[in-house]
Amino acid sequence: MTLSLSDPTWYPIASSDDLPFRHVYQGQLLGRELAVWRADDGNVNVWENRCLHRGVRLSIGVNEGGELKCQYHGWRYANRSAGCTYIPAHPADAPARRIQNRTYPVREAYGLIWSAANDDQPFRPFPGAEGHDWFPLRPMPVNAAPEDVLAALSALAPDDQPADLMPGLSLRFGGTYYFVQPVDAGRAVIRGLLATQPDATTLRHYNELLSKLRDRLERAAAKKPAPEPLKPAFEKVSAELSTMPEIAVPRGNTITVVVKRKWTSADGVIGFELAARDGHLPTFQPGAHIDLHLPNGMTRQYSITNGPGDLMSYVIGVKQESASKGGSKVLVETVREGDLLAISEPRNNFPLRRDATRTVLIAGGIGITPLLSMARFLDKSSLNYELHYFTRAGDVAFRSELEALHGKVIFHTGLPRAEIGLTIASALGQWSMAQHVYVCGPSAMLETVRSTAAAQGWPDEAIHFEYFKNDKVIDDSSAFEVELARSAMTLHVPSGKTILEVMRDNGLTVPSSCEQGACGTCLTTVIEGEVDHQDVYLNDSEKRSNSCMMTCVSRAKSPRLVLDI
Amino acid sequence: MAITLYDFELSGNCYKLRLLMNILGLPFDIVPVDFFPGRQHKADWFLRMNPFGQLPVLKDDGLTLSDSGAILAYLAKTYDTTGQWFPDAPAITAEVLRWHVVADDITASSSAARLALGYGYDFDIPKVQKQAHRIFRLMDEHLWFGEREGRDWLCSPAHPTTADIACFPYVMLSEEGGIGREDYPALRRWTDRVRRIPGFTVMSGIFPAGRALQTA
Repeated sequence: MTLSLSDPTWYPIASSDDLPFRHVYQGQLLGRELAVWRADDGNVNVWENRCLHRGVRLSIGVNEGGELKCQYHGWRYANRSAGCTYIPAHPADAPARRIQNRTYPVREAYGLIWSAANDDQPFRPFPGAEGHDWFPLRPMPVNAAPEDVLAALSALAPDDQPADLMPGLSLRFGGTYYFVQPVDAGRAVIRGLLATQPDATTLRHYNELLSKLRDRLERAAAKKPAPEPLKPAFEKVSAELSTMPEIAVPRGNTITVVVKRKWTSADGVIGFELAARDGHLPTFQPGAHIDLHLPNGMTRQYSITNGPGDLMSYVIGVKQESASKGGSKVLVETVREGDLLAISEPRNNFPLRRDATRTVLIAGGIGITPLLSMARFLDKSSLNYELHYFTRAGDVAFRSELEALHGKVIFHTGLPRAEIGLTIASALGQWSMAQHVYVCGPSAMLETVRSTAAAQGWPDEAIHFEYFKNDKVIDDSSAFEVELARSAMTLHVPSGKTILEVMRDNGLTVPSSCEQGACGTCLTTVIEGEVDHQDVYLNDSEKRSNSCMMTCVSRAKSPRLVLDI
Repeated sequence: MAITLYDFELSGNCYKLRLLMNILGLPFDIVPVDFFPGRQHKADWFLRMNPFGQLPVLKDDGLTLSDSGAILAYLAKTYDTTGQWFPDAPAITAEVLRWHVVADDITASSSAARLALGYGYDFDIPKVQKQAHRIFRLMDEHLWFGEREGRDWLCSPAHPTTADIACFPYVMLSEEGGIGREDYPALRRWTDRVRRIPGFTVMSGIFPAGRALQTA
C-alpha cells in the first residue's frame, strides 16, 4: 500500500481530550502539519500549520478563544473561517477578507477528532460506532510505516479470534478498535478506542501492550531503508496576500441567510439573528457591517454585533422608527423568523485598532451595535476598554450581552442634553499617546464627541467614527468619458448625472446602496485617469492612491476614466 | 541581601533561575557572561567562581553557588515562603530531585542538539536527538497518566515545583535542536500550564501561552 497525499479517507488526528480550551495542538496527517484548536464555543479548527504572513507554525500561536494569534507578528485568524481579522502592522486598516488560511475538514465523534486531506468524501462512522461511550486510549506514535503498524496490530489478535479489518487503516478484535493515523510514509500513530470506560489498570495494560508493539516495530523499521517521505506541495502565498492591499474591493456576492430569531431587545430596538443555511458565514472584523437586501428592493447597512470567531450567525440591531422611510420599517414589520434574506459579505469602514493603551467606546442609542462587537473583541483579547452607552430611559438594547463583558461598561440612561456633553468630556479625558476613541450614534452626538475630543487634545487619527451620511455638497458640474474595460463600452457622463446613473441608463447592473458616497457598496477599481473624489468612505491615502473610487458621487478630473467594470 | 546571577541570555539553565526568581518576585542583578562566542565561562575569573566552568553561577551575599538544579533548591528553600516550590516532605523531596536529574538528562540531549545545530558544538546529533525523544516519550506518558489522575505537574503535589522549572526550558527549546514535539501532546499541554504560572517570564525562543479560559 502506498500513501497518497490526496487520500480522501477520514482519519483520527487527536483525542477530544487533547484539545482543552485555549490550547493549540500540533496535528499531522499524510505528510502535512496541522494547527488544531478548540474555540470557546467548542468548535474544533483544523488548519494548515503556517501563518500566511511569514510561514511560522500556528501551533506555537495563542488560542484566544475566538481567534488564533500568530506568535510572530500577531496576525489573528477567526474561528471556523480561518479568515484574517487583524494585522498589527496595519492597525488602522481592516484586512482584506480574502486573506484566509487553508482549512481541512473536521469532525469530532467517538472521543476522537477526525480529519481528511480533502473534502472528497463525506464523514462516515466506522462500523459499530453508534451506541457506545467510547474511551480513546493514550495515542501511541510509532516511527514505522502505517501499513506495517496495521499488520502488527492485526497480529496481536488471538488465533481463535482474528482481527476484523475495516476500511481506512483500522481493525477491531476483542471489543477494541484500533485506527492507524498515517502521519507519513514512515510514521504513524495508533489510536485505540474502548467501548466502555476503563479503570486505571486497564489503561496501563493497553499502554504497555502498545509501547512494546511500538518498540518491536521501530526495531524492525530501523533495519529497513527508510521510506521516501510524502512531499506535500505547499501552495505559494500569492503576492496579493503577502502584501497589504490598500483596500478590500468587494466582490459584490450576496449570501442567503435565514432569520433564525427576531426579538425585541429594547423599546424600539429589534434584534435579528441571521444564520447561514449551511456551514458558517464569512469572516468579519469588529466594526464591520453588512448590506441587507430588503424585500422591497432597498438596501440598508447594519453593523454586526458578534464577538470574535462567532460565525454561525450574525446578530444585528434594527431601530424601529415611526417616521422611517421604509428600510427598517419593512424589516421590523414584515420580516419574520424563518424568512430568507440576502446580505452582502461583511465590509469594514470602522476598523478597530488593537494596539491602543486606552480605548474609549462611545455609543448613542442604536449606535451600540458596532461598539458591542468591538468590546467583545477587546474583551476576548483581555485588552482594556471603557464603553459608554448613552440611551433614553428604557432604550438599553443588548443589555445582557453588555453585562456579560468583563471590561468597564457604563450605562448613561436618560441624561439631560446638557449633561451628555459633560459626561462625554470626562469620559474622554485629556488625550495622551496611543489612546483611541470610537463613536457611533446620532450625528449630534458624533459632533459633540469630535469637537470635545479635539478641544481636549485628541488628534484626528485618534477619533474614529462611521459615516452613515455624506454631508458634503457634491459638485457634479464636470463632464467626462468613462471607459468600462470589462464591458468594452465607453460612456459619456454629462454634468448633473453620476457615473452610476449613466451606467444604469446603459443597461449595466451595478451594486449601490446609499448613493451618497458613505457606504462603500459601489466601490470600483480605477485603471486609468484621475479621480475627483467626493465621498466620505475612502480615507485620504486610499484617495491619493487613485486606484479606486465611488461611482455614486465621485467624478473625473481627467477627460477620461478607465474603470474595471 | 543582594542576589547576582552570572547569566548568559540564551542559556536555558540560566533562564531556569530567572524564571523562578521572577515567580518568587525576587530582585536580582545580572552579570552577563559571554558563553558564545566569547567562551567567558572558561576564563580564569569565572573558573575561580566555578572550577567546572559551567553557567549559571549565583551569588547571594557571601555565598557562591553553581549548578542550576542546586540553585533552584537553594532559592526555593531560602525565599519561597509558601514552601511549595521545594517541599520539605521527604517523599516529595525525593520526587523533585529525581526530576532534577531528568532535567540534566534533557540538558545533555536536547540542549546538546541545540548547541550542535545552532552553535557549532561537536556532538553526535542523531544520538542526542534520539536520547531527547526517549525522555520526551517518558515524560509524555507520565503527564498523560497524570492528567487522568488529576495531577497537572511532574511531581505529585497539586502545584508546580522546581522539578517543572528545571525540566521546562530545554523541552521548549528542543526544536532549535531539531527535536519536534508533535508526538508528545501531553508534554505540550504541560508547557502551556508552566507558561501560565503567575510571574512567568520568557526568553528568546520561549513564547507566552496566552491566558487560560476564565471560568466565571
